[in-house]
Amino acid sequence: MEFNVLIGGEAGQGLFSVELGLTEILSRLNYYFFATKNYMSRIRGGHNFHMIRISEEPVHALSGRQWDMVIALDEETEGRHRPDLSDDGIYLSRELTKGIEKEARETFQDIRHANTMLVGCVLAVIGVSPDRVTEGAEDETAKYLRTGFDYAHRSSLAGKYPLQLMAGDHCKFDGNQAIALGALLGGCQFMAGYPMTPATSIMHYFSTAALTMPVHFEQAEDEISAINMALGASYAGVRSMVATSGGGFALMQEGVSLSGMTETPVVIVLGQRPGPATGLPTRTEQGELNLVLHAGHGEFPRVIFAPGSIDEAIALARKSFALADRYQIPVFILTDQYFADSIQIMHDDIPKECLSREYPVFDSTYKRYTLTEDGISPLTYPGLSNARVRLDSDEHDEEGKITEDLGLRVRMVDKRLKKFAMLARDFMPPTFYGDRNAASVIVCWGSNKLIVKEALEKIMEDGQSAAALHFGQVYPLTAAMVAPYGLEAKRLICVENNARGQFAGLLKRELGLSVAHPVLKYNGECFTVSELYYILKKLLT
Amino acid sequence: MLKRTDMAWCPGCGDFPIRDVLEKVLPELSIPMKDIVFTSGIGQAAKMPHYLDVNYMNGLHGRALPLAVGIKLARPDLTVIAYSGDGCNYGEGGNHFIHTIRRRLDITILTSNNQVYGLTKGQSSPTTDPSVKNDLSPAGNENIPLNPIALAITMGAPFVARCFASDRDHMKEIIKEAILFKGTALVDILQPCVTFNKINTYQWLKERVFKIDKPIEDRYEAIKTAELWGDRIPIGVIYRNDAALCREIKKIFRERIREEDIENQLDLRCVMMR
Repeated sequence: MEFNVLIGGEAGQGLFSVELGLTEILSRLNYYFFATKNYMSRIRGGHNFHMIRISEEPVHALSGRQWDMVIALDEETEGRHRPDLSDDGIYLSRELTKGIEKEARETFQDIRHANTMLVGCVLAVIGVSPDRVTEGAEDETAKYLRTGFDYAHRSSLAGKYPLQLMAGDHCKFDGNQAIALGALLGGCQFMAGYPMTPATSIMHYFSTAALTMPVHFEQAEDEISAINMALGASYAGVRSMVATSGGGFALMQEGVSLSGMTETPVVIVLGQRPGPATGLPTRTEQGELNLVLHAGHGEFPRVIFAPGSIDEAIALARKSFALADRYQIPVFILTDQYFADSIQIMHDDIPKECLSREYPVFDSTYKRYTLTEDGISPLTYPGLSNARVRLDSDEHDEEGKITEDLGLRVRMVDKRLKKFAMLARDFMPPTFYGDRNAASVIVCWGSNKLIVKEALEKIMEDGQSAAALHFGQVYPLTAAMVAPYGLEAKRLICVENNARGQFAGLLKRELGLSVAHPVLKYNGECFTVSELYYILKKLLT
Repeated sequence: MLKRTDMAWCPGCGDFPIRDVLEKVLPELSIPMKDIVFTSGIGQAAKMPHYLDVNYMNGLHGRALPLAVGIKLARPDLTVIAYSGDGCNYGEGGNHFIHTIRRRLDITILTSNNQVYGLTKGQSSPTTDPSVKNDLSPAGNENIPLNPIALAITMGAPFVARCFASDRDHMKEIIKEAILFKGTALVDILQPCVTFNKINTYQWLKERVFKIDKPIEDRYEAIKTAELWGDRIPIGVIYRNDAALCREIKKIFRERIREEDIENQLDLRCVMMR
């Protein structure tokens, strides 16, 4: 059993507070749920909608089935979403929600409490008892919730879609919270950034953490400054990160190259949204894989992660900082608006131990770019001893002094590129789902992981053999990563949120694997489970 | 021991006397040399830290200042000096120049200002005088020159000075004062480019510079003085405001994030936990 509700309205009406209020209580009550949103790039007006899926089983994606309930806080919801309401679904028309607003105004002298009443109403629909609804809520909030609950009873909506509380103890996160937490666990203590959707909330979480923890957030004048500040902090000895979206990242690229040349560790989070240029600022896409793969002039190693679940986001963000330090390279975390803005629950224990830098001390003979067998020079920071730490964006000698010795140039390039060989052994393997013997493998990366997984499970429930492979590390891609799956003998279907199949292109280039069927979506929205189910089922039959 | 010919500057370059002065003044600061960090951008001036016994991060063109900000915020215990030319600090990095001042950090900004692009061979810089002809402005520079002194004062920099590369004693005194000053300090150093700037030469500058006896403390008086250029060019501490407060920086370096911190985060606002 599951229950899918959509709340549509204008920006500024408090739709998000309904989503937050509802998911907060759902989480407290141990419901399985998934919530995401579709919003416009404006502060007031327009048409936004929030979608919440509540279930008796784990859910990590939009089902794509018809809505069980549609709540209209504007006129547009009627035409846009009512056609997708199931035959016996509940429709709270604009007329009805105006009635709720009127009640809020008359009873509580504040129209805004209508949003909390709506939360109470939805909870009543899924059969939560009024005592449970108000449990733990402040007195005032409890009053509004109960009024919403009474409304549902009066309207004979209460208990129409009863759901069991099956989830047990868990945490709830949106994608950006997971990244911010992972960064803190990775020992990241410095972040600089310039606000840009959908990455801004990472900065928000980080600056809030800075109130109580030994971390610093600096709002930069632009993204160029942000990445250079982060590199300065990293050079000075503090693990650092930046977060941005495509346009901001385009500005950061020279800084990425500086990280590559000076071998300064940094972690870069890129929350993708549809481009080019300003594109669709608040919608989703996976169109920046190629940008990140090629970002920064010159040749230097990098790692690109693209987490597909909350636990993976925490783990990969945490690991990114260790990896950036170990190889003295830029490490990327590629997410998107869909992942950033979706709220999911997770059961896995969160590792609470924070990683930290090491601070080796050297004497005055220290050379920042000592040529070594594996290309990795000892890393330390200024002021710890009489060792001078010299970094140079020019080609440099072992001491970090500018050089135009072309023989040395070759040795330094080789030194930097040697790290690729180590990275080829130190990878995050992809996640495999389904039947090892299936003739076809559905390949995906980043935020599509759990949408593909659920679609795959539905296909398998139909008795069909199927398999999927999700890449949480998208670069480097090495033969060892895919060796267990015999992909060269399989028919590959690649699911991506972009128009040109960028990951399929990477598979071809790096591993010589050809994708037979790209499944691409680039209208700014995420895939839904049923959408993928129908497309994949057809391709697999 | 570094020889002059190992340095990438033209014979007679104004950067040589600046280097000599820095080499002398840094050990006199009663700051351990290990705790001094230079940042620089790109250009002839930006090579300066390579020729000094200091820690440095020689970064990208125009970006010496954000590097300095990052270093200072991460390590307030370090003495941070951003060194670059007029093209780097005022042109490519002009936005950073404005906003670095706003951050109220104890950073010293030294600019080798030769009013010309040296490393790219003689184009206009942000401080090139009007009507000056060069390869990319064959009809003469049509832009108003940027006034770094006035700009820094109006942005709220608490220590703004100018010196002249051929007056070593004065330069040494000013740079020392700037580094020891607690707060953002700018020293714009008039540094003749002997190869590409045939107008603002040592001789031209010598005839025009005059010393300000003591730091000007009145901001509007200072701006008026900063406006002087042409026949009379003021050098010295053009503005000094000891009442300006530096931003307090929390210590984060080698302060580990503790498990309790994460637990608290999970309980409080960052991550809502069941």
